[in-house]
Amino acid sequence: MKRKAKKKLLALKKQWQLQSMVIPGIVWMAIFCYIPLVYLIIAFMDYNISVPLFENEWVWFKHFKAFLTDDRFWRSVRNTLGMSVLKIFIGFPIPILFALLLNEIRNEKFKKMVQTISYLPHFISWAIFGGILLNWLSETGIINQLMVSLGFQDRAILYNADPDNFWMITFLSDTLKETGWSAIIYLAAIAGIDPGLYEAADLDGANRWQKMWYITVQCIRPTIAILFILAVSNCLGSNFDQIFFMKNSANMPKAETIDLYIYNMGLGQGRYSFSTAVLFFRSIIAFGLLQLCNFVSKKLTGEGII
Amino acid sequence: MKKWKRLAAFVMAAAMLLGIAACSEAETSETAGGAESSAETGTAAGGSESAVNPDEPAWKSNTEPVDLTWFIGASWYPYTWGDSLVSQYVTEKTGVNVEIVTPTGDVNEELSLMMISGDLPDLISLGSWESSYNTLYEGGYVYALNELADQYDPYFYNVVDGSVIKWHTKEDGNLYCIPNDAYGEDQMRETGMTAATQTFLVRKDLYEDMGSPDMTTPEGFLEALRLLKNEYSTYKGEVITPFYAQGGSGYGLSTFLQNFLAVPYEVDGTLYDRLTDPDYIEWLKMFRQAYEEGLIGIDFLVDSEDQVTEKANNGRYFCMLREWTGMQEANTILAQSENPDSYYIAIDGPTNADGDAPMIFPGSLDGWMSCFISKSCENPDRAIAFLTYLSSEEGQRDIFLGVEGETYDMVDGEPVMKEEFVDMMTTDFDTFSNQYGLCDTYWMLRNSVIVDQWRPESEPYIQQMSDWADEHAYIEGGIYNNLEPTGDSDAAIAATRINQRWQEVLPELITAASDEEFDQIFNDFLADRDSYGYDLVVEYEQNLLTSRQNLMAE
Repeated sequence: MKRKAKKKLLALKKQWQLQSMVIPGIVWMAIFCYIPLVYLIIAFMDYNISVPLFENEWVWFKHFKAFLTDDRFWRSVRNTLGMSVLKIFIGFPIPILFALLLNEIRNEKFKKMVQTISYLPHFISWAIFGGILLNWLSETGIINQLMVSLGFQDRAILYNADPDNFWMITFLSDTLKETGWSAIIYLAAIAGIDPGLYEAADLDGANRWQKMWYITVQCIRPTIAILFILAVSNCLGSNFDQIFFMKNSANMPKAETIDLYIYNMGLGQGRYSFSTAVLFFRSIIAFGLLQLCNFVSKKLTGEGII
Repeated sequence: MKKWKRLAAFVMAAAMLLGIAACSEAETSETAGGAESSAETGTAAGGSESAVNPDEPAWKSNTEPVDLTWFIGASWYPYTWGDSLVSQYVTEKTGVNVEIVTPTGDVNEELSLMMISGDLPDLISLGSWESSYNTLYEGGYVYALNELADQYDPYFYNVVDGSVIKWHTKEDGNLYCIPNDAYGEDQMRETGMTAATQTFLVRKDLYEDMGSPDMTTPEGFLEALRLLKNEYSTYKGEVITPFYAQGGSGYGLSTFLQNFLAVPYEVDGTLYDRLTDPDYIEWLKMFRQAYEEGLIGIDFLVDSEDQVTEKANNGRYFCMLREWTGMQEANTILAQSENPDSYYIAIDGPTNADGDAPMIFPGSLDGWMSCFISKSCENPDRAIAFLTYLSSEEGQRDIFLGVEGETYDMVDGEPVMKEEFVDMMTTDFDTFSNQYGLCDTYWMLRNSVIVDQWRPESEPYIQQMSDWADEHAYIEGGIYNNLEPTGDSDAAIAATRINQRWQEVLPELITAASDEEFDQIFNDFLADRDSYGYDLVVEYEQNLLTSRQNLMAE
């Protein structure tokens, strides 16, 4: 045991140039991820920024009670889950399909072009993309013009005023913006597949469909599993930027997610303790979901992240 | 392997501990610093008082170059200091070089961060509606201006209006900030300038073509909208959007409309529940009816600011409940377009059943944004002297009119802006503001009572709107300004919840299928409002109002 440790240390010494490159990352993590964890305790205090941390009054579960008894909080949970369900069960396979399709394109130039164009929207911020989208959705926007001229509607509709449309609008716009980007990781996984497998399949007389299903999909299964676990554990999170720019007072009943709730009821008024309490609660649930998903995934597919 | 993990855990834990230690250390040293500096002010105030001359502003005696950072709590503030003529002139004159800082995101978040890190800018301009406004002085982050003035620059009291000081002095007897754009009742009466902005606007050529219908009653309003829909839904090539209310449900159709209906703030000495006023409900029901008949949409609740600007600049709205100040650009564009009569004019808008004159909200002593001097400021003497300078008539003139002989001339002992610059204001506002920095470029301590006498006459299509608002201003109403609780008190949280709920309820009211459904939704809201703690809000507002009234009666 001792010798082993010594060996490890020696190895560390040998590659100190490489190891030292990790240090900035560790320092960054410590400062931005671990030290802030200490401040989680303000969820149990009435935190006032002008008072030193430990001199604040302890109120224990006051803030937790406040939001757990708030029907608006539960509404925001419903909205968050609603949007996440759409994203996970309908949205999740889309980048995979897209990556598989791209992979089947034979013309390299065309493939690269499609890929580039499809991930470009990712680099536009929601502030701008949301603005464009609101114009498209407005009464005189392109979508209304299209629908009216094709005869699907007899007059223009204010899409963004109807709360019932909101989940769908956020889902579709998010898919439009992020599909290309999300597909990159699958394309990378596909690129890592041993070509020998395909050659062997060719010899066995597999057609393209069979190669796609029995080789490509099976080989990227670990990637899919990991991303799925992460997606599910993040289902209480939402895309704050997107919703912030697309919400309005008419669609608010379906637009307020947990993030927005924290912003409206907490941060906007300097209620740091309250906001922290909600976030803390959410993180605990997310942690539980992550563990659960990981467990299920390990049992079913043998793939997990922990 | 296990050991390695343990080691890593230990390192992490150590790092965390270090972090905590460092944080708490920083905090204690900071508070110690705060205590020290306040002690310093205390002793110095006794000692050096004889050295300052109360009859001469302090900025004249010390014009050494000094840098002051100035945080402006408005992310949209577009100008800088140092490039424009006015700023260079002021820096040269007083030695003070300002670096303007604006928030990149949320004002309160950014200020909170600065407070925690103990690194506040020297000067801070902030609206009293912001939640960090109270924290600034309650947490001891800012100097008491009266102490600074006593110590370094007693001339301060000669240039800042007594009623402004009275209004802004807090319960502990200290004055922490001075506002811009503060209006006293007497001043408003004397000058006729009231800073009132709320107007009911219609597109002039369209309205006149329709035969200038009366829109002061719900029936008249509805009729006008029907006429619009039947005969003018497209006008001079534009699809007309019938109605717009500024700020959507939270403002345009709430307090704004209530002011037009002259809903009182107070009845027999107690605050009146303006939301349940019968006239107001009747008008809301009119809007519901109009929506049901397809006469209006709820686009004004949904449109982004850009979309609104686009519609307004093309004259696409028929009528609007909107502050005229937001329409200056649009009216200028429209008046110069191929339909020079397509600009907007203010007319008599919604009126209550008794036909009472509207109570348009005036300016108040509360002002707009207030300026603090933070304790991080290393030269508080220069900062207070700079505030004194900016508040004085000389400072106001330098900031507003610029340099004598270059941008303005003295005509019969009165400063008058040169013609070329008056023209530049409408033709090339960018150069006017960025290169010269004249008029409202640096509004941080603008005293409207002083600068309005020098303000060049507006174009008639703007003057008309502002005249209407001035004429209908409810001058006594200033005392009701910003009564709502802010910060993180229970009352403030209740008020926020109620407001946010109301903003959701209003669209439901307007899109309700029938008057019965409307009543149902409205009553549900009232019940919700009570459950959110409406009584706390009323109690807070009543107390604040009473204390204000006592203060001003003294």
